[in-house]
Formats: sequence, C-alpha cells, structure tokens
Amino acid sequence: MASSADRLPYAADAESPLKEAELAVLRKQYEGEGQFVGVQTKFNYAWGLIKSDKRAEQQLGVRLLTDIFKDYPERRRECVYYLALGHYRLGNYAEARQYNEILLGKEPGNLQAQSLRGLIDDKVAREGLLGVAIIGGVAMVATIVGSAIWKGVAKKR
Amino acid sequence: MDAQSTTAGGTVGEAPASRNPRQGPDGGESLIGHALTAVSGRDVQAFGRTVTATAATLIQPFGDSISATSNHYQHAMTDISKELRKPSIQNRMLGFAQRTPTELVRSKLSTTEIQHRALTFLPEDLLRAIPDQESQYSLFQGFQATLPDPKKSRKPSKKDGQKQITDSDVDSNTSVVEKLTKEREDLAHQLEIYSVRKNMASSEIREIDIKIANLNAMRHIVLERLAKLEQEEAQLEHEILEVDNKIEDIQEDMDSVHLEEGDSDTPSSDTNNGSFMSESVYGKLSNSTFKNPKKHRSKSKSNTNATSFKSPILTRPAGRKSMPILHEHFEPGTRISEYQTHTDSITSLDFDVPFGTMVTAALDDTVRVWDLSSGRCLGMLEGHRASVRCLQVEDNLVATGSVDASIRLWDLSRAETYSGAGNHINKKKKYNGEDADDEETDDGRQSSAISTGVSSAAGLTECAVHCLDSHVDEVTAIYFQGDTLVSGSADKTLRQWDLEKGRCVQTLDVLWAAAQSSIVPGADDSKWRSTGRSADIKADFVGTLQCFDAALACGTADGLVRLWDLRSGQVHRSLVGHTGPVTCLQFDDVHLVTGSLDRSIRIWDLRTGSIFDAYGYDNPITSMQFDARRIVSAAQEPVVKVYDKADGRHWDCGNKEPLEDGKERSIVDQVRMKDGYLVEGRRDGVVGVWAC
Repeated sequence: MASSADRLPYAADAESPLKEAELAVLRKQYEGEGQFVGVQTKFNYAWGLIKSDKRAEQQLGVRLLTDIFKDYPERRRECVYYLALGHYRLGNYAEARQYNEILLGKEPGNLQAQSLRGLIDDKVAREGLLGVAIIGGVAMVATIVGSAIWKGVAKKR
Repeated sequence: MDAQSTTAGGTVGEAPASRNPRQGPDGGESLIGHALTAVSGRDVQAFGRTVTATAATLIQPFGDSISATSNHYQHAMTDISKELRKPSIQNRMLGFAQRTPTELVRSKLSTTEIQHRALTFLPEDLLRAIPDQESQYSLFQGFQATLPDPKKSRKPSKKDGQKQITDSDVDSNTSVVEKLTKEREDLAHQLEIYSVRKNMASSEIREIDIKIANLNAMRHIVLERLAKLEQEEAQLEHEILEVDNKIEDIQEDMDSVHLEEGDSDTPSSDTNNGSFMSESVYGKLSNSTFKNPKKHRSKSKSNTNATSFKSPILTRPAGRKSMPILHEHFEPGTRISEYQTHTDSITSLDFDVPFGTMVTAALDDTVRVWDLSSGRCLGMLEGHRASVRCLQVEDNLVATGSVDASIRLWDLSRAETYSGAGNHINKKKKYNGEDADDEETDDGRQSSAISTGVSSAAGLTECAVHCLDSHVDEVTAIYFQGDTLVSGSADKTLRQWDLEKGRCVQTLDVLWAAAQSSIVPGADDSKWRSTGRSADIKADFVGTLQCFDAALACGTADGLVRLWDLRSGQVHRSLVGHTGPVTCLQFDDVHLVTGSLDRSIRIWDLRTGSIFDAYGYDNPITSMQFDARRIVSAAQEPVVKVYDKADGRHWDCGNKEPLEDGKERSIVDQVRMKDGYLVEGRRDGVVGVWAC
C-alpha cells in the first residue's frame, strides 16, 4: 500500500491519552450501538482505551481488539498491529513482539511495525537489565547469607 | 553453566517453533533468559552457536512433521533457521522468549491479569489465518475521520488568506504562497478524510445488508418452524376432538339407554355403526365432514337441552382453541393456497377466521363448506331451490340469501350430529319429539327444514336452523349481527329479522323512502334525479347492506347510500356521490366505504356525511372489504386490488399476466379479508387464499 504510512499510527500516537470527555463520547457511541456494534465504532472505542493511561482501560481495549480480530478476518492484518501496540502499552512484551513479528512477516517494509519492534527491544533490554540486577542482588545476598550459614555450620563442626 | 546452556538451548529452540511463549511457560524458561542477558556479549556469541545447532536439530524434525499440512509454515521455519545463523538475529532470538520481570510477576500472580490473558488469547490458527486483502481504509483512518473535524475552525482563516491576496504587497507574497500551499495540503487531507468517511459509510451499509440478509434467512427458518408448529397444533386439536367425540358418543349411548330404556332402535354398540351408516342417507356425507374440528362441539349439550336448540347463537361453543397466526408473517401478496371449489362463477363467499371454515356459493346452485386449513370440502348446504346470491359466515352461523327469495340460516356446529358413530337417528327423533311444540309455534316450515326425518337431501342439511322467506323476489344482500339479520331484495324492500324467533320484525320500503325524501321540503329533488340512474337491469336493486345496532346502511342501484334508523324505520341520511349502482359497502365507527359499478371506491365520514377520500379503478367494483390497514376490492380484473391506507399505496394481489397458453386469467368477482387473510373467488370457480 502506497499510503501505508498513513494507514497505521505510530507507537507514539498510542502514548497520548484522549481526554476523558472524548473517551466518553466513544464509549457512548459504542454502548449505543449495543449488540450490533459496527467494527469502526468498536475499534474507535478500543483505540481510545488503549491510548489511556489506566491499565484496566488498556486491558479492555486489548479485549475489544481481540474480538475484532476474531470477528472480522478482513481486519486482522491491521488488528494484529493494534494488538501489538496494546500489549506493548500493557507491558506484555512477549505478546507485543509476537504480534508485531507476525505483521512484519506479512509487511517487512512496514515502518510503524519496525519502529515498534525497536521500542519493544529497548523496553525489554532496559527492564530486563533492571530485573537481572535485582535478581543478581538477591542472589548475591543469598550467597553471602548462605556462605555465612555454611561457615557457621562448618565452624560448629 | 553447562547444564544451564543445554536447557536454555532447548527453550530457545522451542520459542520460534511454537511462536507463543505463553503456551509453555515453565518457570525456568524466563529465569534462564535473564541469566543469559547477564553473561557477556562474547559468551553470548559462543553460546548462540550451540543454541543454533540445538535449535536446528529441534526445528528440523518438527518442521517435517508439520510440512504435510502447512507448506508455507515450513518455509517460514526454514527462513527462521536461516536467519538464526546471523549473529544480530541470534541476539534477538535469545531475547525472544524473554519476559521482563514485572511482566513475569504480573502474569503469574495477578488474577485479573491471568483472566485478561485468557480473554485476549488468540489461537495459533487464527493468527496464521490473516487474509491478504486490504480494506479501502484502515481502522485508524476511520478513527481519525470520526474525530471532530479541526478543519472547520480554519475555514474563516481561508477567507483571511484570500483577503490577504487582494490586500498584500509583493514582499509578503512568499509567505502567502507558503500559507496557501499549507492550506492546499490541509484541503487535500480533508478530501482524503472525506473519501475515508465515504468508504466507511458504504462499508457500514454493506455490513447492514449482510445483517439484513442473515436476519431474513433466520426469519425464513423461524417461519417454517411456525408453519410446522401450526400443522402439529391442528393435528393435535383434531385428535383431541376425536377423543372428545368418542367420550360424548359413549356418554350419549349411556344417556339414551337410560332415557329410552328398552328402545329397540338403539344400537347396542358402536361396532355395527359402520354398516348402518353406509346404508343410511348419511352415508353420502363425505367422511371428512366429521373431521372438521369446528363441528365437533358440545353436542350432548345441544341435544339434551331444549332451550339451546331454540337459540343456537347463545349456546354456540367457543371457537378453536389455538389461533393460527401464520398468515400474519407471510409477505403481503403471498399466495397461501388455491382451490377449485365450483365449476361455475362464484357468486358469494365468506369465512369465519383465517384457516377456519369457508362457505362458497356459485352459479351452479350449490353452497359448499370448506376447511381452509386442509382445503377439503366438508359438505354442502342444501335447501335452496335456486342459486345463492349472498352469504355471511359468523362463527358457526351461516346465512344465505338466494334467488328463490328465501334466506336460510345454518348452524355448522350441528353437523356433528352426523359424526362418526352413535345413535344419531335416536337423537334426531329425540329432537323432534322434545322440541316439536316450540318449533310449531315458531314456524311450521322451520321445523320441517330442521327435522332430518323429512329432509332426505344429502349434505349438511342438519345444520339448517331457519328458513326466512317473506321476500317476494330474489334476495340480493344480507347481513346479520347477533340476533338481528337484515336483508335486501329485488322486491325493493329491506327486511329486518329476529334470528331467535325466526320472524320478520320490520319491512323497509326503499322506494317509499326515496319518494319521501324527494317530497320533503328542502330536499333537492333534482339532485336525486340526477344521481338516480335509469335502472340498470343487471345491477341488483339493493346491492349491499350492513347494520350495526339500530343503524343500517344500504347501497342501491340508484347510486345512493342510505343510512336508516331501525328504531324509526326512517332514512336519516342519504350519501349522494356514486353515479352507478352501489355493489358493496362496509362501515366501522368512523368511516363508511362503498364500492360501485361507477368504478370508484368512496370513503365517507359518517359523522359529517361528506366524502373523506375516494379513488377509482379501470373497471366496475363488484366486491370490497376493508380492515384497519387496507381496503381490498375486486374490480373485474384477475387480481385483487389492495389499497394500503397506512402508506397510501395501491398494489395488486395476484398475478395479472395471462397464463402460459395465452389464456386470460379468470376475473376475481368476490373478495373477503380478515386480519390480513384474504380470500378471493373467481369466475371459473377457483378460490385463492392470500396473505396481504
């Protein structure tokens, strides 16, 4: 697609939350259409939710997107990207990466997906290092304590 | 570390194979991943090579086993294993199965997170089944298009820009050009958004179309279910009535034995009835007669109770237990069924309820009773010595007016006296014996008509209740309601009858009323003359009439509709307008609708006596009926003309086109409708049933 640059939002778009009133409009529309809600309305609400700062709203957004993915095969390709974004926002980087790679497998030249891949890698590396540092610290303490105990036991013997 | 590396190799190898780390998250997998990030880059390189080897061996057999089913998947796998050899990819692959610690903690410990994961889980096959075709606009574009338009605020600025062009000097030209280019871009963007919106709307319409199609399909299925249910319902009712009949017969057997002890005529059992019936005159009756649910009702009641015989209307049993509603769900204009009822032109027909009982009269001088749900002829009403011109069915009561100047009243519920087995002869004798006094005081002829011993004719003669024959010329119109029956005749009189006593209670002379109105001061004599046509020989003098309580309306050959007060016997209003004989009329509490041979249908306002609405067809109107929603009429065409009052639409019910062999379809002469269930009778004796 020539206009693929416009067709998908960048991850940065997802970082800017909508105003409460704007989200309320989308929610009202979504709830107003009831059982036979249209795909666009559903997506609008889901997208608004994913942009939110609140985790519960983000989760609901991902759920709606999952529904869209299941119900509208013709929308799957873009939906997989929004799912990746949603999971990225939620911090579920494994899923985010998985979905993003699926899209990249289909469209290797997709700029949005490429940038998301970079973002996910960064996040994982940073949080991973942080986690390893913590685990490392815990392990260190454990070793020290353990060795101390061991020494104590040895001394007792 | 060595032991760890082999385990890690296995895990890393699995990750791309399953492409879904969630599917096999054993705690060690992630922990090892973190451990791996801790080792230095050089170690990773070395370690990566061993991992590639392990992964390759793991992938290869796995890919082979899969290859039979999904080819492209195998390609993907080989691609991945190729890419795995690149160091940069290897680095990434190592991180592939990774979860960050916070993620890990959340995914393992928080119930809401676990719940959410379960809800948003997408199975592998769905993820693989991503179709290639793209929609015309992306959802995100749709989202942007639905956002409130920020461009609108810029519209005034556009005008400013235009002003600037006119006002500006040369040196500001460049900035103006810049501004205009920007504006152009904005406008182009706006145009794009509009096209997206357009696409959105059209795709939404398509979605709705699909939904409508689905709903229609569902409706069809449910309609079929409804039809089946009604069939089964009718079947059940039929069975119930059969059982009821058996019970009643047995009871009657016991009763008669009790009442007429030692009567030698009483057959001792049901078993010999078969031969008995076949020898009797009643054997001529088709067996189907006895199967009509409507005719198997509380016979013991009417048999043992003398008063009930005198006034059959009062003791008329309740109608069918279940109410057919199927026709309400058909598309208007759907043909439900078609029967060849007579061999000659149908002169009159009526039915009680949708899928109930229909009575038809034709020029072949027969009156037949039909079961509309099965299409069977239940019998004939015999007694008239000439053809029947008009008839009405109300519940079990049928009134027929004939060219032989008599009116006969029938109670179809009495047909049951013939039913199946039992001591019917005895019963009838009992009738005559017990009721003889009452009957004779009423009318000698009536008792003869009723007494089955005298009337040897086949058919449903048992149903006859009264014969009203005070008219001296053919009866052309009848209408009854409750105990009152009114009739119009070619002898130019209207008569009012008391159905309970079977007597004429009032005679209204139409000619006298016409003369009265013409000599009343103030009445416009010329108007009457101008509307009164020279008598059309073909048209009935009294074409139609209807009464309600003390109000009677009649339409006559002079084109007038007269409203009578039955208490005073006077015409209190004449509706002038039709230029041809009035053939049909019907009124409710507000409107009176009339059809005439002058090809028009007029709707009158009863309160003011003025015309409320009128419309015309190409041919004279011979029959008309209306309900809350539509007016149906027969206008000498092969179709029924329907006027939908709700949306002001005229349409034809039926097929107007000539038959395949080039012959014209037969003309519809008579039409009746109740609750959107329309029955029409044609000149070739065919009756069609339609939903409308």
